[in-house]
Amino acid sequence: MSGSDDGGSEVRTREPVELSIPVHSDLIVLARLTAATVASRAGFDVEEVDDLRLAVDELCVLVSDAGSSGCLRLTFIATDDAVEVRCSLDGAETVDGRGSEEHGERELSLRILDALVDEHGEEFDGGQRRGWLRKRSVRHGRS
Amino acid sequence: MDEDFAVEERNEGDLVQVVVRGELDVATAPTLREHLHPAVDRSSGPVIVDLLAVTFIDSTALGVLIGTQERCRERGSDLRLVIDDARIIKIFEITGLVELFSISPTVAEAAIR
Repeated sequence: MSGSDDGGSEVRTREPVELSIPVHSDLIVLARLTAATVASRAGFDVEEVDDLRLAVDELCVLVSDAGSSGCLRLTFIATDDAVEVRCSLDGAETVDGRGSEEHGERELSLRILDALVDEHGEEFDGGQRRGWLRKRSVRHGRS
Repeated sequence: MDEDFAVEERNEGDLVQVVVRGELDVATAPTLREHLHPAVDRSSGPVIVDLLAVTFIDSTALGVLIGTQERCRERGSDLRLVIDDARIIKIFEITGLVELFSISPTVAEAAIR
């Protein structure tokens, strides 16, 4: 992260924050914590921070495909009015489909993302599953 | 796993109450399922799931609740949720699950529905 060094008190997150975690259900909380920290430092209000926290959790679950192995790599990029999160799964044994899905959880994930973020997407390319989302801060958008 | 996460079952007459605390996510949802499905199987009446102390819920936990609801209906029973946190209710609203579940703000109200 970077901050202004001109004597001002405002600190803006400009440089990407990167997080790499083994695909393990216990560790997705780290992605949520990072999302909340980045959003908070970017000036999101409490509700927006909560929204981004849940959205990043859903993105991780979608991309990691519950039950698969590998490493989840996340990049958080804060701009003046938004936070963008990119997520990819590297080195997974199975990355096609959500192994543990029983009751339409994937559809639920997509509904949650549709409601909470401005843009999101997924792709499967070259043996790697990737996802991304972008959420703007309404407060910043009005200023 | 969330260190504050806990599931406790309380029985009172025909009423089975499952009290959940902490964050419900991909890590804790399997534990929730392990408690709810046997509770439904043992119950002869409604099953109340107290989510008052739940601070986070995601799609994997919602999937467990949907599965439990189906299990209840197969047995002629009824699953009732207790939620008063607007942040948690919001998740049920945006997923359309408020139409599927009976949701009350207190355990007392859930018990008399």
